[in-house]
Amino acid sequence: MGARVAAETVSKSYLPGPGASPVDALLEVSLVLEPGTFTALLGPSGCGKSTLLNLLGALDRPTAGRVLVDGRDLATLGEDERDAYRRKTAATVFQFFNLLPTMNALENVALPLLLDGAAPGEADARAAALLGEVGLSGKERAYPYELSGGQMQRVAVARALANRPALLLADEPTGNLDSKTGTQVLDLVSALVAEKGITVVMATHSSHAAARASRVLHLLDGRLVP
Amino acid sequence: MIRPLLAPLVLRPLGKDRLRFALTVSGIAVGVATMAAIHLANASVLSSFSDTVDFVAGKASITILADGPGIPEETLERLAWLRGIGATLAPAISVTAAAGSKDGEVVEVLGIDPLSDPSAREYSFAEDGKRGEKKNFLEGDEGKERAGASGHSGGPPARREETHTFEESSPGLFSVFARQSLLVTEAFASRHGLKAGDAFRLVTNSVERTFRVAAVLRLAGAARAAAGSIVFMDLAAAQEAFGKAGLLDRIDVVLPASLSGADRARVLEEVSASLPPGVTAGRPERRTETVDRLVRAFRVNLSALGAIALLVGMYFVYNTLSISVLRRRADIGVVRALGASRRAVFAAFLGEGLALGIAGSALGLLLGAGLAAGALKLVGGTATELYVPSAHPVMHLDPGVLGFAFALGVVTSVLSAFAPALEAAGVEPAATMRHGSVEAARRRRTRPLALAGVVLLVLAWAATRPGPVRGLPLFGFISVFLVVAGASLLAPAAVTLFAGRLDGVALRLFGVEARLARANLTGSLSRTSVAVAALTMGLSMMVAVAVMVGSFRTTVSTWVGQTLSADLYIGPASGRSGPSLGKIPEEAIDLLRAVPGVDEVDPYLSFSATRDGAPYTIGSWRFSFIARHVRLPIVDGRDPAAVFSEALANGDAMVSEPFSEKFHVHAGDTVDLPGAAGPVRVRVAGVYTDYSNDRGTVALDRGKFQALWPLKGADTLAVALKPDVSPEEGARRVEQALRGRYALRVRTNATLRRLVLQIFDRTFAVTYALEAVAIAVAVLGVFNTLTALVLERRREIGLLRVLGASAGRVRRAVRYEAAAIGGLGIAMGLASGAAMALVLVYVVNRQSFGWTIAMRWPWAFLAGALALVFATTLLAAARPAGLAAATDAAAALKEE
Repeated sequence: MGARVAAETVSKSYLPGPGASPVDALLEVSLVLEPGTFTALLGPSGCGKSTLLNLLGALDRPTAGRVLVDGRDLATLGEDERDAYRRKTAATVFQFFNLLPTMNALENVALPLLLDGAAPGEADARAAALLGEVGLSGKERAYPYELSGGQMQRVAVARALANRPALLLADEPTGNLDSKTGTQVLDLVSALVAEKGITVVMATHSSHAAARASRVLHLLDGRLVP
Repeated sequence: MIRPLLAPLVLRPLGKDRLRFALTVSGIAVGVATMAAIHLANASVLSSFSDTVDFVAGKASITILADGPGIPEETLERLAWLRGIGATLAPAISVTAAAGSKDGEVVEVLGIDPLSDPSAREYSFAEDGKRGEKKNFLEGDEGKERAGASGHSGGPPARREETHTFEESSPGLFSVFARQSLLVTEAFASRHGLKAGDAFRLVTNSVERTFRVAAVLRLAGAARAAAGSIVFMDLAAAQEAFGKAGLLDRIDVVLPASLSGADRARVLEEVSASLPPGVTAGRPERRTETVDRLVRAFRVNLSALGAIALLVGMYFVYNTLSISVLRRRADIGVVRALGASRRAVFAAFLGEGLALGIAGSALGLLLGAGLAAGALKLVGGTATELYVPSAHPVMHLDPGVLGFAFALGVVTSVLSAFAPALEAAGVEPAATMRHGSVEAARRRRTRPLALAGVVLLVLAWAATRPGPVRGLPLFGFISVFLVVAGASLLAPAAVTLFAGRLDGVALRLFGVEARLARANLTGSLSRTSVAVAALTMGLSMMVAVAVMVGSFRTTVSTWVGQTLSADLYIGPASGRSGPSLGKIPEEAIDLLRAVPGVDEVDPYLSFSATRDGAPYTIGSWRFSFIARHVRLPIVDGRDPAAVFSEALANGDAMVSEPFSEKFHVHAGDTVDLPGAAGPVRVRVAGVYTDYSNDRGTVALDRGKFQALWPLKGADTLAVALKPDVSPEEGARRVEQALRGRYALRVRTNATLRRLVLQIFDRTFAVTYALEAVAIAVAVLGVFNTLTALVLERRREIGLLRVLGASAGRVRRAVRYEAAAIGGLGIAMGLASGAAMALVLVYVVNRQSFGWTIAMRWPWAFLAGALALVFATTLLAAARPAGLAAATDAAAALKEE
């Protein structure tokens, strides 16, 4: 079951350096995402897409406003609860895959399970099954540097799904892939969403990629535009 | 071409990474400082001694010395022909005494002939030392200034304006003709508050004598010997006072300046030919060479330990630079794409090694000069105590030694930079290789490296086979270094093997953090294995030295227990620095025999001789006493009582194990000894173990000894008490009998045993200090590596936080990694340390000193020390772990 995500007049500003004036990354963004929907955040570089994803993933806190996931205000979560939220509820897929180079594919996928307290044997078995689901059976022992970009992103997707999250945050998941491989990854994400009912938020600057989503939100200079 | 690369590739990254820069520089500095301190201290000991030799030898071109107990006075008559060619002969005796009391400053007493001596040695009198002479001595403020400026150290005397002709000096020198008169140096006079006319006591040959200060000498010429701790008296008076009637210790021959080099060589030959047996002629500096040979083994052992500290410093440079290359691969790719040549990139990184080397070595010299003062106390104290009692070492910052240590630091740094610089030069312009693939390429080297390591270990074994080279265990040290190098090369394989085998178990026991630690260990193999290797090196040295010293101590302790079996030991006054001064007179021995409760007295009497240029001792006991009271172990396991009785019956000699090892003399062989009446050949009945000196001893029964040399008295006495007298009571009675007559030191068996072990511990204190340095450097290495890895893995750590790993888990993963590095380093250090200990005990020690040491493993000490190292390693991980835990996930992932 997917998560219900709501942002209420959320703003985020940064201080680029000591004594500098604050830079607004997000300005009074409000949105509601229903469970099991696939939403694309479309906009050029620097428009605030990644900042919004960081806020939804509890990697950062808003300067103003609230982010609610299934009714819980993320700003009220303690450090442990935020760790648990990232482990169980919100998983992230990145543009640059962000696999751990020192671990093989199976270990990368098993990592969130082990972090969540799964027994090693159980974690490995589920990781192998997930790799099978993303079409990477036989690549369990391969290290990231031995995989292609598309394969690495599929491992990243499998890892994101490991703890059966309710919310999948994808930050330019096809930005580092050729168009064919990008399409395959989007197919995979779409299929998984449809099958598992996960709420997906994908940041992208590609309208082609955004077209795969059920809803497209446009961001420009930190604001949602119609 | 190189200059534009220095800023982006070297200087700015170094400036940004100040902590690592500081650690690397301090790593080199510690190695350089250790080497500098040891060599400065050692050079100071030797230069103090060689200065003393030079100052005493003065203008002499030939010095005649006794290769035995003394030079018969008649030798002067045999050399009378020298006067015919215009040469001057300056005979002298030298004695070491304690000033003021039996625990006072050790001072050299030189008995000289005031008539002939000014031709050989230079004397200059201080203002209050003049005795109604002519106008020739410097007076007033000028004299004081000169006296102050002359100082304690520096080269041999040469300044003409401070020296005097025969006519000028002789009135002052003649003042020593008066009985019991002494010339003292200014330095000595000021230390003891003396002026001309004052009474003053000297203790030597167990007797306290009062002398009068005839005059005070300025610190010039011969007065600069022994850093001013020297007094002069009339030769005849000295012979009488110190029991050397009819004997001389040296004759200095001054040849006329007009003689050519060839003529001088011919004269030396003729002089040698006219000398009686047991007396040799040579260049004055040969005594320094002899001392140099004596302390060489000691110095080489210390230097080897210092070299280990430097080697660990080398690892620092290698580590820092290889991390630099890895982190700057993209930048290197960019500059290569912009047209920078491979050579320029290579030079830039080698330049970084050079810069680190210069900074570290400069800091090391400052640190080393500071440490040297402390090292001088340790090295100087030990070396003078063991070998050269009258050296009076004074710190001397030898520019040659400083330059050597600096160059050593810079060269090793540049050498360590070589491999990383080559790797940097190999980066392709389009540097698109991923971190993982770089490491994978390095992982592929694991097997060849391990093979090379095994080959080095086999070579290390082979290097234990050859004998010493010029008395030094050269191959033994090579073997030790090969063990260190071999173990280091095995580190990557050990890390891989350990990580691979233990993953499952560790995961179950310690959770996912253990897997993270394992993945980092193998994933960053090039860095983690270097940290393991550095720790292995430091620890193997600690383990090896601990086992060697522990085994040695146990062996000595057992030996002391077996051999010190008399009830009391009596020696002459020893002065402040410890060595015994002079002999115990025969009358004192007779007096002791008559003390109620004394059963038997065994006098030990010895003198120094040389064989093939190396000094050794000829000593004597009553063999009957040894057979009855002392279980002096025989190397081949025979019964000591039987062997000593056989030697006594046949008039044979016994030799110590160091003598046997050094000169290849075994039971049944014969030795040639320099008898007073000519060479004597004596059969060797057996070889006994001896840890009291490494020069080697030939021991004869006292009767045979005194038949060969006209010597009386004793160096030390062993006293057996009657069964009903306790050692304490016996000591009390003996002291009472001696009081007011002889300045002798009486020790009970138990006190002497304690003292022997105390001296042993003091001697080896310096090795523990060096071990501590090596370990500190290695633990710093772990800190350095972990900090670098954490900084390098910021993205990965950020990712872990995104995946829901808590700060605590990230911190634990770094700690587990430190634990794995520490554990592996300890295991490997223990293994290679054990191998090195075998080499040190059975090869290096045996070849250096000729001692057989029984192997003992100090398990309790090792367990404690290794646990401490493990805990320190974990502590070293605290900051890197904190850094990792504090990583801002969003910011880390943003850095692409």
